[in-house]
Amino acid sequence: MIETWIERPHIIAFTVIFIWGLYLMVVHHNFIRKLIGMYLVQTSVIFLFVTLGTKTGSTIPVLHTTDAVIDPTDYANPLPQMLMLTAIVVGVSTLGVALAMAVKIYKEYGTLNEDEILEELRAR
Amino acid sequence: MLVLIVLIPLFAAITIPMIGLRQESACRPLALTALAGMNIASLSIYNEVVRNGTIHYALSGWPPPIGIEWVVDGLSGIMLVALSSLSLIALAYAGPLTSKHLGRRIVPWHTMILMLVASLAGMILAADLFNLFVFLEVASLCSYALIGVAGGRAVIAAFRYLIVGTIGASLYLLGVAYIYSATGSLNIADIGQRLPSLMESKTVVIGIIFIFVGLGIKMALVPLHTWLPDAYSNAPDAITPIIAPLVTKVALFAILRIIYWMIGTETSLHHLPVLFFTGLAGALTMLIGAFLALTQLEIKRIFAYAGISHLGLIVMGIAMGNTEGFLGGVFYLLTEMVMQTVLFFIAGAIFYYGGVRYIHELSRLRGQIPLTLTALIVVALSMVGVPPTGGFFGKWYILLGALKAGNYIAVFTITIATILTMAYFLRIIRPLVVSSLQPEQPIHIQAPFSMRFGMSVLSITIIALGIFSDRIITILQKTAMPIGF
Repeated sequence: MIETWIERPHIIAFTVIFIWGLYLMVVHHNFIRKLIGMYLVQTSVIFLFVTLGTKTGSTIPVLHTTDAVIDPTDYANPLPQMLMLTAIVVGVSTLGVALAMAVKIYKEYGTLNEDEILEELRAR
Repeated sequence: MLVLIVLIPLFAAITIPMIGLRQESACRPLALTALAGMNIASLSIYNEVVRNGTIHYALSGWPPPIGIEWVVDGLSGIMLVALSSLSLIALAYAGPLTSKHLGRRIVPWHTMILMLVASLAGMILAADLFNLFVFLEVASLCSYALIGVAGGRAVIAAFRYLIVGTIGASLYLLGVAYIYSATGSLNIADIGQRLPSLMESKTVVIGIIFIFVGLGIKMALVPLHTWLPDAYSNAPDAITPIIAPLVTKVALFAILRIIYWMIGTETSLHHLPVLFFTGLAGALTMLIGAFLALTQLEIKRIFAYAGISHLGLIVMGIAMGNTEGFLGGVFYLLTEMVMQTVLFFIAGAIFYYGGVRYIHELSRLRGQIPLTLTALIVVALSMVGVPPTGGFFGKWYILLGALKAGNYIAVFTITIATILTMAYFLRIIRPLVVSSLQPEQPIHIQAPFSMRFGMSVLSITIIALGIFSDRIITILQKTAMPIGF
């Protein structure tokens, strides 16, 4: 059991970041800290996806010559990286929208703490 | 032709800020024209699909398992028609409300709506798990922004929705990573061919679980529904009729695709307990949604919970695993989209007439709003399931499916949910008709034409769906069934 984990350090890294992100989101009542947690969760999934395409001793998937015989096993899988480029863009735009909303919330309520905002809403 | 369905609203969305910068009044006609164009395109595509069968489109000419593929079959065709018509009517309805709520933000608002519709159309068309993810995220981003646009409580609701929704999307992406590492493919049909030999693999099973949980958050299945009532009840009235019927239902459509096209009918029915757990989630959603709807005081919250509850009914129908249940689920999905739109039309109209948000204020409007009341009664009859409305036939087929599957617990649950539905609608209708309650000072406001138009057209549609249900279901059975039934 432990050996299979040690053979796959990227899975350990993924699990740690993912759970850390979820923990931050659940425990903290500050919106910015929640956002940091959310971003960690997104990043951990992107990280895991990119590691799917790696291979030891492989090279970038660009053809140097057309003369030699092409062996696909020499090259790293480029698809996960391409996909994750898109996912990173999606993640960044989500974060942008979230930060814009955080600014709006701060302007309106003067705080980013969830409890204080709920209290203020109840008072209104 | 197929690409136009996404490209028309997308290009209009980009054009609107450029034109709107100089002339704000040009936004609305432009957006309406774009949606009308999209509607015509999807109608002609659907016509073609019904006549000649499924259309496959390989983007930029790359053949499917490697390139990105878009597919229109009978199911996605009719979803596209419903999406484009409903968004057109809802945008027409929203006209008089937008200037009241939004002021100068009206230009980006129209852009956002068109982006939302374009990306939902993309979700319906996508035959590729990752493409689906991208469109899902674009649609979600637009709905966060649209819900939060008015400020106040809505921003908080939108922020919470954003956090929960992003976790849903991340879980979905994680599931895609698992499926990709097990099968080496992202194309739904291609995965469908490779999965049967990999059913023993834990990777596949965990991937499917993550995908279901992720999409379950997006479509607000109980217990993942907590973001929805806050978000919908605080969002501006101009936006809820567009977001409420479309966003969750298109996510449901994605799950339908994944169950019957990716995992495959054979595997779902016999090898993995996918249908059992989906059906269980559906039953829970239906019952808890209906109970919570009964306890609410705010009209929009009741409607939001009603939407959750009826989404559960659709999920149950789909999870029955036989032809009747599937057809009933799909037919009810279409009817439910129309019904949700009308419900939020009514909520918006009631607020527009007299500033009424809560049930106890409704008696103020008694006798003043014949048209809105008629629309409300039609929707209520349809949601309870009284013929000849569309809701009756959808529920009838779902019940037939449950009986055929020998699932009497499902029949019992649906009956209880129906009684609860009747109860919460009576709570809303009663103060509007019963005269023993103390009338308050009446209000005299004539609703704008566009609002009356939207409500009447869609109420007639609900009845028409019931009257023509036979024909619609025959067409669905011919064109929309997954392989293996």
